[in-house]
Amino acid sequence: MDKHLVTRTFRSMFLILLVAALTLGGSTGCKSKKKLAREKAAAEYAARVDQAKKDLNAILNDETTWTLKEKEQRVKTIKNWNLDDSEVLELIDRVEDKLARERAEAERKAEEERLRAEEEARLKAETSKYGNLEGMLRSVASSPDFATANDRISQTLQLFATPDVPVLIIISQAGGFNDYDRPTTIRKYLDYLKDQKNFNNRIEQVKYDSNGKITELELIKR
Amino acid sequence: MKNKIAHAPTITTILLLVAMLCLAARGYPQRSLGAFELDETELYAMTKQVSQFFSRFNNEEDQFGKKYHPQNPEFRNPEKRRIILPLLFDNENKRTSGTLKDFFVEDLVGKGKGNYLEFLGGRWYSEVAATFLHQGREVNIILFLMIEKENLGSKWVLTNVYYPEFNKLFPKGELAEREKHFLHPMSHELDFMNIYKAFNHAQVIDFYASKEFQPDYLTLFFAEIKAGRMKFKSVDHLKFHIFQIRDWYFEVSYLNRKGTNTGWLITNLVYMTDKEKPAFIKLYEPWLRLDQH
Amino acid sequence: MKHIIIIIIAALALTTSVKAQDELSPERKQAIDSLALEKVRDLSKYVSIIGNKNTPWSEANRVIDRAEELFMAGAEIGVSSLARTDIFYYKVRTYFERLMRLNYDRVEIEWYKIEYVSDLQRQPDGTYVGVITIFQRFSGYDQEGGLVYQDTTKKDITVYVKRKETQIGGRMIGFWDVLLGDIRVKETSS
Repeated sequence: MDKHLVTRTFRSMFLILLVAALTLGGSTGCKSKKKLAREKAAAEYAARVDQAKKDLNAILNDETTWTLKEKEQRVKTIKNWNLDDSEVLELIDRVEDKLARERAEAERKAEEERLRAEEEARLKAETSKYGNLEGMLRSVASSPDFATANDRISQTLQLFATPDVPVLIIISQAGGFNDYDRPTTIRKYLDYLKDQKNFNNRIEQVKYDSNGKITELELIKR
Repeated sequence: MKNKIAHAPTITTILLLVAMLCLAARGYPQRSLGAFELDETELYAMTKQVSQFFSRFNNEEDQFGKKYHPQNPEFRNPEKRRIILPLLFDNENKRTSGTLKDFFVEDLVGKGKGNYLEFLGGRWYSEVAATFLHQGREVNIILFLMIEKENLGSKWVLTNVYYPEFNKLFPKGELAEREKHFLHPMSHELDFMNIYKAFNHAQVIDFYASKEFQPDYLTLFFAEIKAGRMKFKSVDHLKFHIFQIRDWYFEVSYLNRKGTNTGWLITNLVYMTDKEKPAFIKLYEPWLRLDQH
Repeated sequence: MKHIIIIIIAALALTTSVKAQDELSPERKQAIDSLALEKVRDLSKYVSIIGNKNTPWSEANRVIDRAEELFMAGAEIGVSSLARTDIFYYKVRTYFERLMRLNYDRVEIEWYKIEYVSDLQRQPDGTYVGVITIFQRFSGYDQEGGLVYQDTTKKDITVYVKRKETQIGGRMIGFWDVLLGDIRVKETSS
């Protein structure tokens, strides 16, 4: 029983000593490592603040070669650093403002570009659709003399059901509806092209009869 | 009228603007009528229509004569008017090329209503000097016209005529002379047996009329035309009398001459308060009541 | 096809002015201004063709017809010069025929690039009236190629614009009928 007690006491003492030793020795070792870490962190923080200011200013002054997306990514990264620096915070505000504007502009530009491409494609499709007819109208307008023009007029008239086929010319689509010039006939219109030597319209619509002859021509002012 | 001319345009600005108007002649991008290179400098500078005079006066068009959209900041822009307005004066006329003009411009570019010319705004009149044959004799008659609104639009209407022969018919007469000619207040009791005396002296028949009587020359003129005694021959000269601008009156006439100061320009300028105007406007709009405007 | 022509003619004859639109938007006004200006340019071109001594007689006559179609019935051209301020009045057709028969060996008609379009004003019946000003230089040469006559004229051209409707191919077409009216031709010192 005594032997047991002694062993227990000894074991306790050993544990205490061990703990004490560990505590003392350990605490001195931990202190120097922590300081190092803190200094390192501080340096890192300062470097980040520095980097953040540099990057943000560069973005503000358009001195980067980054794309808008890269700039946005950069701001996101900087924000994730959670830097508690009033100058950086203010810069972030300003840069975010600027990037929002750039983003809005980019979106509008992209939409504009998309629409333009769409219109171009439509125009191209239409031009090729009516390419032949438009070419003939143009050739009448660019005839070097009356005789040539008259020949070309006769040729063009072949495409039409009669020389009296109506020709409509849209002069404006303001307000969402078509305003036309006084309706004319293809015969008169071809003479007009011959005299004025200028075809400044685009073909908007053509109607055909069962024989494939044109029965109505709708043009629009360029 | 303000006494201070804060930012009177310097001669340099004016010259610059003339140069601008002139340069407009070159390289104006549009389908041209012809392929010829003619010098259009003077034609650009010329105020080509009365319409353009109005439009330039209000600064409602650019130097190429293209209308500004009313939302455009240039539209009726006071600073632009300060530069444009001096160019609308006949610069070979003392009355329209000196300090009075500067005061006028200063009054126009300041704040306040009534400083733009409005086609349908009234109080502007056309004076047409014409030649007629009156009983076979060539005579000069001045016709006055104004724009009158009617139904969906407007039109020019005759308002008065000036023909000295008509005026001679109604001399004011000496008061002493006028006092000799009247029908006494009891004439009615005698069945106006004395009225024949009034008609014995044709020259003074109007002395027998009410003091409210005003000879109406336009009626006389129409009567002559209707009776076939008066025949139109030609229009000789045209000018405009403009009373629309607060406290100013001016005339606009067409100057057909060389240079850049041509076309429809202000050829007379008078400082005239709005209170004074009705007395003058009566010539152009005789039925205008003095308490109007 | 013939019935379509008849419909057009009938519709043109029966068209009525639309009184609903009192105020035109600046955009539509501009489109109408351009249309009116185009008619004036068309006229200038016709004048050049008619005046050109190389134009075949038959073509010149056809062009006179086309030019005349630009005008309202009864339109006149009033001409004066620096030397003679009296206004000479010509019917449109007579004016063109005189131009075709001018006694020069060669005629040069040049148009200045400048054009001025007035505001459109409405007359009591609702028709819009405007004036377009253009400038022309005329030169007449004799057989030896010597310049025998030259002038620069300002032409103030009345333009009437009326809103009309017509039926074509079963649908209503609203169009602006532009017709030229009186022209004042004045020699300028410029």
